[in-house]
Amino acid sequence: MSSEDLQDTDTEARFEFKKEQKSAFQAEKGLTEETIRLISEDKDEPEWMLQRRLRALEQFHEMPMPTDWPGQPDLSEVDVDEIIPYIRPDVDVRAGVDDWTELPDDIKDTFDKLGIPEAEKNALSGVGAQYESEVVYQNMRDRWEEKGVIFCNMDKAVQEHEELVREHFMTKCVPPSDNKFAALHGAIWSGGSFVYVPEDTTVDMPVQAYFRMNSEGMGQFEHTLIIAEESSEVHYIEGCSAPKYSAFNLHSGGVEVFVGEDAHVQYSTVQNWSKNTYNLNTKRAIVEENGRMEWISGSMGSKATMLYPSTILKGRGASDNHITIAFAGEGQDIDTGAKVYHNAPNTKSTIESKSISKDGGRTNYRGLVHIADGAEGSSTAVECDALMFDNESTSDTMPYMEINESTVDVAHEATVGKIGDEDIFYLQSRGLDDDDAKQMIVSGFIEPITEELPIEYAVELNRLVELEMEGSLG
Amino acid sequence: MSTQVLDSLSEDTVRRIAEERDEPDWLLETRLDALEALDELDLPDVIQTPGRRWTNLEALDFESLVDPLDQADVTERDGEDDVVVLPFTEAFAEYGDVIEANFGSVLDPQENYLTALSVALFTTGTFVYVPAGVDAEDVTIRAEMNSRSLFSQTLVVTEESSSVTILEGIESGTDAAADASPADADRYFSNLVEVVAGENAYVQYGSLQNLAADTYTYTLKRGATDTYSTINWIEGNLGSALTRSDVETELDGDDSETQIVGAFFGHGDQHLDLNARVWHNAENTTADLVTRGVLDEEARSVYEGVQDVGREAWNTSSYQRENTLMLSDDAEADASPKLIIHNHDTEASHSATVGQVDAEELFYMESRSIDEETARNMLVEGFFVPVFEEIRVDEFRDDLEDLVQARLR
Repeated sequence: MSSEDLQDTDTEARFEFKKEQKSAFQAEKGLTEETIRLISEDKDEPEWMLQRRLRALEQFHEMPMPTDWPGQPDLSEVDVDEIIPYIRPDVDVRAGVDDWTELPDDIKDTFDKLGIPEAEKNALSGVGAQYESEVVYQNMRDRWEEKGVIFCNMDKAVQEHEELVREHFMTKCVPPSDNKFAALHGAIWSGGSFVYVPEDTTVDMPVQAYFRMNSEGMGQFEHTLIIAEESSEVHYIEGCSAPKYSAFNLHSGGVEVFVGEDAHVQYSTVQNWSKNTYNLNTKRAIVEENGRMEWISGSMGSKATMLYPSTILKGRGASDNHITIAFAGEGQDIDTGAKVYHNAPNTKSTIESKSISKDGGRTNYRGLVHIADGAEGSSTAVECDALMFDNESTSDTMPYMEINESTVDVAHEATVGKIGDEDIFYLQSRGLDDDDAKQMIVSGFIEPITEELPIEYAVELNRLVELEMEGSLG
Repeated sequence: MSTQVLDSLSEDTVRRIAEERDEPDWLLETRLDALEALDELDLPDVIQTPGRRWTNLEALDFESLVDPLDQADVTERDGEDDVVVLPFTEAFAEYGDVIEANFGSVLDPQENYLTALSVALFTTGTFVYVPAGVDAEDVTIRAEMNSRSLFSQTLVVTEESSSVTILEGIESGTDAAADASPADADRYFSNLVEVVAGENAYVQYGSLQNLAADTYTYTLKRGATDTYSTINWIEGNLGSALTRSDVETELDGDDSETQIVGAFFGHGDQHLDLNARVWHNAENTTADLVTRGVLDEEARSVYEGVQDVGREAWNTSSYQRENTLMLSDDAEADASPKLIIHNHDTEASHSATVGQVDAEELFYMESRSIDEETARNMLVEGFFVPVFEEIRVDEFRDDLEDLVQARLR
């Protein structure tokens, strides 16, 4: 997909259309042991996975809702008893579909509008597409399969790569005990991607998964597990969207990334959930010696987002980069940031965060940098910039730094500002109208982020920003 | 909270303190209300991150720290003739109305458990009153703590177009004078400072804490500005076992400004929980927060800086810098500089760094045949220079430099 193709697409139409709900299996609202057993049975899961789900459910019921963080989004509306936790679309997911034409027309049409098959042809090594709770399409280029690269949906991975999954699934990276929504996820997760890259293998085109939530009042809980063995390299892209309904939706995904020695994993995502979705995710990476993890994320949609991708730098010389952008418009509360634990010597991290808030939207950078005793020679640099449009909006910066080691280099910087009158005047004097001038300034502001994204995503992000800005400036 | 309340902490105790000091009824009522509120109040908030509370105030063992009926201090108060600098007890006769009108106007006695405890029990304190148009250069309050616990209260009221520079120092009394306290017991010092700045007034309040290593310290200093007024704080913390210090300004008047300058130097197993906070509640206000600290041995610092810009705070300028120098591997520096911004017409920034003495600079100095220890000490002193430069009162700067040097020797 070239950038021109994308620019011609009507982005609003791409994301906001909705389909009549059709499903083969739909769980009752709410969360009970019976529901969990039904989901597990429907997926024909091994007993150990059912037991993990049930244990996570117990932990979910034991844990309190997070309510006491300073300035956190209001979650009082989130009532798990009102959520439909599992919808299996009318597709034979077990057999797996690797040809778009085999999908029911309405689902195929959805992904066509989102531009996924087109992107697959041109720029990706593989694609997985999830509709509601299940991955409906999965394909991987043959040349990677021959090298032992695995890219399949999580349910299939449980069946076919049981040992790998059993060892890594919500054990050491994101245990259900991490937080209430990780526990919820552990109980009712469904769908998602499994990526395995063997030693010394470089997957030089990105693999992509796309998650589409179509039904009203549902929760989507996909799990992504990426294992990059020693000296391997992979770039995983995740996209997601949902049309807007009156009832709220809940998205509570889980992402676990294992970066082996000298391996390099890049995880890019542009989140554009509809503005009634609560987006409460747990994403974490564990990085071994000299490994490198990169998180690139754009948070555009959702009513409230709480997401702090975290990296544990476990091996000597491991490194981490975070690049995030958040845009909050009317009624949105985007609480996002980054967490990095420096647990070994000579580890490095950089965090670059940009946010834009307007029309009463709220953005918050919430970050934690922890440098453990013994992580000598480590360094971290955090930079947060916020751009604000009006005095209805709010922009907060809440970094936390815990430094237990003296031979370190820690720097945090944050700035907040409005769009400069002088800049606008300058652009106007060059013949741009007010709206275009502001838009150009915003594009310039987020450029350091967009230039790190693959071109398709950069274009999409710019289009989304334009959409957010349209007609609302005066 | 009730588990922490002492047996001796009763209505009788509070009444006795007030009677001995011949206080007006309103203050006794304020004290009794604070006492009653203790059951429901919480300790001041401390920062929490996954798996840890940054400061463990719950560990304060009030049973062994607080002895409200046996408070002793020696406090010297000096000021020029046209400014009032009096202990509360002596100020009531003539300035009772002014004190009543301003006491608790900036700092709610029932803000938290420790403020209420302090208001209920304070026996020492100072009232500073600067009449309209008076420039008072040189007010000093030098206090010596000579008992197991000491609760202090300071109220500063400045009228229109006045200015005042106040230097406050607190240290532990000499051993002979401190005999009242059992030799091996910990001690507790609490000080609440309220500054009410009048229109176009200028207040500079410097405070130097160098209490003995067996002392737990809680201080909350808060000022509120009127139009065109300025409140500048200078805060030096060197002593005490555990220090919790909050320095705060409410910028309530248009075109008002504040500066909070902090310096700390922790050693041994000292724990310093230092906070600088500013609220921009009016238009065209300016804030500048500058803190530098050094940590040696097993010392630990916790820093929170808050710049809160309100919805109506048009044309705000707000800056914050915090830098920590680590001299030891066993030290720990935790920091959270927070920006809370509700108005876009704002220029705000903050930065924080943690690092160690620069190896190259050290090498350079050693190559100039300065021995390692001297070189390191010079670099530490140099690190404090940006803070020293912000202190425009020579006496205060000299005191702070002396204390830093003494610690480096």
